[in-house]
This record gives sequence, structure tokens and C-alpha cells, in this order.
Amino acid sequence: MDEFLKQIAVILEVENVNASDPLASFTQLDSMGVLSVIAMLDASYGVNISTTDIGRMSTVGELWAHVQCIKRGCA
Amino acid sequence: MKFTFQHKRISGILTVLPARELSFLEEMKNYNFPEARSLKLMEVMGYDKRRVAEEGVCLSDLAVFGLKHLFESGLLRPEEIDALLVVTHSPDYILPPTSNVIQGRLCLKQDTLCLDISQACAGFIVGLTQGFLLLEQESIRKVVLINGDILSQRTSPKDRSIYPLIGDALTITILERDSQSAPIHGEIKMDGSRGDALMIPAGGIRLPCSPETAVLEDAGDNNLRAKDHLRMEGSVIFNFVQTEVPPMVESLLARTGTSVDEVDYFLCHQSNRFMLQKLAEKMNIPSAKVPKNVVENFGNSSGATIPVAITFNLAEKLRNEHALTCLMGYGGGLTWAAMLVNLGELAFCEMITFL
Repeated sequence: MDEFLKQIAVILEVENVNASDPLASFTQLDSMGVLSVIAMLDASYGVNISTTDIGRMSTVGELWAHVQCIKRGCA
Repeated sequence: MKFTFQHKRISGILTVLPARELSFLEEMKNYNFPEARSLKLMEVMGYDKRRVAEEGVCLSDLAVFGLKHLFESGLLRPEEIDALLVVTHSPDYILPPTSNVIQGRLCLKQDTLCLDISQACAGFIVGLTQGFLLLEQESIRKVVLINGDILSQRTSPKDRSIYPLIGDALTITILERDSQSAPIHGEIKMDGSRGDALMIPAGGIRLPCSPETAVLEDAGDNNLRAKDHLRMEGSVIFNFVQTEVPPMVESLLARTGTSVDEVDYFLCHQSNRFMLQKLAEKMNIPSAKVPKNVVENFGNSSGATIPVAITFNLAEKLRNEHALTCLMGYGGGLTWAAMLVNLGELAFCEMITFL
């Protein structure tokens, strides 16, 4: 998960990201920011999720859990 | 669906661009969006300059201008045209077909098969496929494939996700028989069940344009657009492209025993710089083999961006030499397509400005 948090921090142009951080708190997470997250999840984790999916997540940790869930085939 | 064509070639490509150039930096004030983020969009997506037609200019105007240029330059004779294909989703009228309009304006012979094809970002490859199929007929020796769109007028100036991206352009490609040409291989797939990811909801019979469909609505992220306007589900399209296009290209290369190294250029629909970069990365294609400079210079003109990319980047090379190219189109429909074609010794490969 540490690597995931680092990747999210790079996209959002911040020093650190914590699992408990609310996604809504990042101004960089506009449509382009979301697209960058989607591209990273596809390239690094082989997971395709939509803007709508990300909109349903409240925190960074929840997004990570969702990615893990998809990788296990449960979502 | 897989296709193979024997003894056919592309013999010339012309791009016609409107003269009017808009600049994203000057248009940024239209958007209710922090300047720093707009500049980031410019860097990542490639938003910069784009060409748009003046109000009232239609597709047939650009086509007639381009064809007259070819006639007057001695590069094409009117009586040679046996079929006139127009691939567009911005026709002059619902009826008659734009191909018939062009035929009439240029007084072409009645023995001309005029055919409009409503396809979008993969339209160039769909048009090539239809053109090569027609060349199987004894009576059709030369096909003029016109692929272009005037979409700038169907985008909302208050929609930052689409408006600064779209440009207008028209391309004319000549297809003919050639007993010396290498086989051309292609693949096309369609999925209409996902068609609403890229659409203009109003203007057809289902939802005619009306004062109600012209009302701007909140599209989220500080963007406003009406039902008359082009809309795109960016993340859906991104995932569609990343998921569907690489396997198709791999299948095409495997079927023809071609390696990525052997292909000189991967000429993709110029969606935006970001998507092209990610697609190249996913397919392990060297970035230098994937031109990505059409959006920043001319805007995204739907299917025409592939021939625009060819005439902008490879004009001199393809007039004198050959290059093995893999064309890749994807978008509205949804439709995605790829074609492996040896391009070269073109009678013309140039860009002109519509005056």
C-alpha cells in the first residue's frame, strides 16, 4: 500500500498521502486528476475503474481497498 | 472482423484545414477553473492551437475546395472518380447525403457511387475498408475517400473537457488498384451497447434540436453543456481504448507475422496527448514511432486526425519512400479499428488552407 500512496501523492502533487485522507480534500482531483489516477491503476495494477467508481470512494484507503477487491475478482 | 485486401493502394492524401486558429491560452478565461489547472491541462492533454471553420462553412465547402485544388494541380481528374465516400458525423444536411452534394457541386459523372458513412474517430479505417471493398468491382477503379468533420460548432464553449480539444479538418485520400502492392490487413470491431459514452444527444429524429436542447446544463467539474453539444465520458473512453485497442493491434501484428520493430509508424487517432502516451506505454511501442502532435497544432478532428497526422509528419518521406504503418482508430460508436498498410510513393501528401 505504501507504493500506492506514493503514486497517488505524485499524481496529486503533494508530499504525502495517508489512507485516511478524504479524496474530496484534494483540489487536484478534478476530471484530469481522476483520469491520471485511472491511468495509473490500469498501468500499475491492471485494474479498470471509472470516474463514477472513484466518486463513490470517500478516502484514499477506500480506493486502495476497492482496487484490491477488483484484483481478487470480488467487484 | 478481419480483412485482407490484395492489389490495392493509397495513392495520395490531402488535408484541408480552416484558416481560423484559436489558442487555448486565450480561451482559458471562458472557463471557471483555476489558471494553474488549465495550464496543467495544456501540458498533459496537449491543448494549445486548433483550427476551426468559420460559422456557416460546411463539410462540402472544404471538400469542394480540396478536390478543385487536386483537379487544378493535375493530381486528379474529375472523370476518374468512380466512387465518392464521405465519412463524417457532421454532414451538411440530414438529406441529401454530403457525398451527393459534393458530386453535384463539382458536376461529377452520374456513374459515381456516392456513399456517406456515419462513423467517428475510427472512421478513416472504416472508410478505407469500404473503399478497398469497392475496388473489387470491375467498374470501380478509383475511390475518393473524404473523411472530415466540422464539430467545433457542436461543442459547448463552457465545457473545458471537450471545447479546447476539438478542431475542424477534412482529408481526401485516393484509393486505387495496383498489382504490385503488398497485401493490406485490417481489423474492425464495434460495440453499440456502449455508444452513449461519446455522443451528441440532440439533432436527430430521437431528440430534435429545440430551445430546450440548447439550454446549458451543469455537467460537473464546473463544465456547462447542452444536449445539442458533443459529450464524452472521458474515463469510460480511456478504459475502452486501453482495454480494447492493444489486443486488436497485437492480433493484427501476429496474424501478419509483423513485429513492433518492423512497423515504422503507429499512426493513431489523435485523441489527446495523454491517451496516446498511455497507449504507447501499454503496448511497449517506442514513443518516437507514435506521432502525438496533431491536437496541439490543429485540434482533434475525429477520424480525420490519422490522415492529418500523416500529412503533417510524413509528407516528404511518403512522397519519396515507403513506410510500414499501423493505423489505429478508436472512439464514437463505439468503434475501434487497426490497419497494417505500406504507405509510400504517394502522388501527393500535403496540407492546404481553406480560403
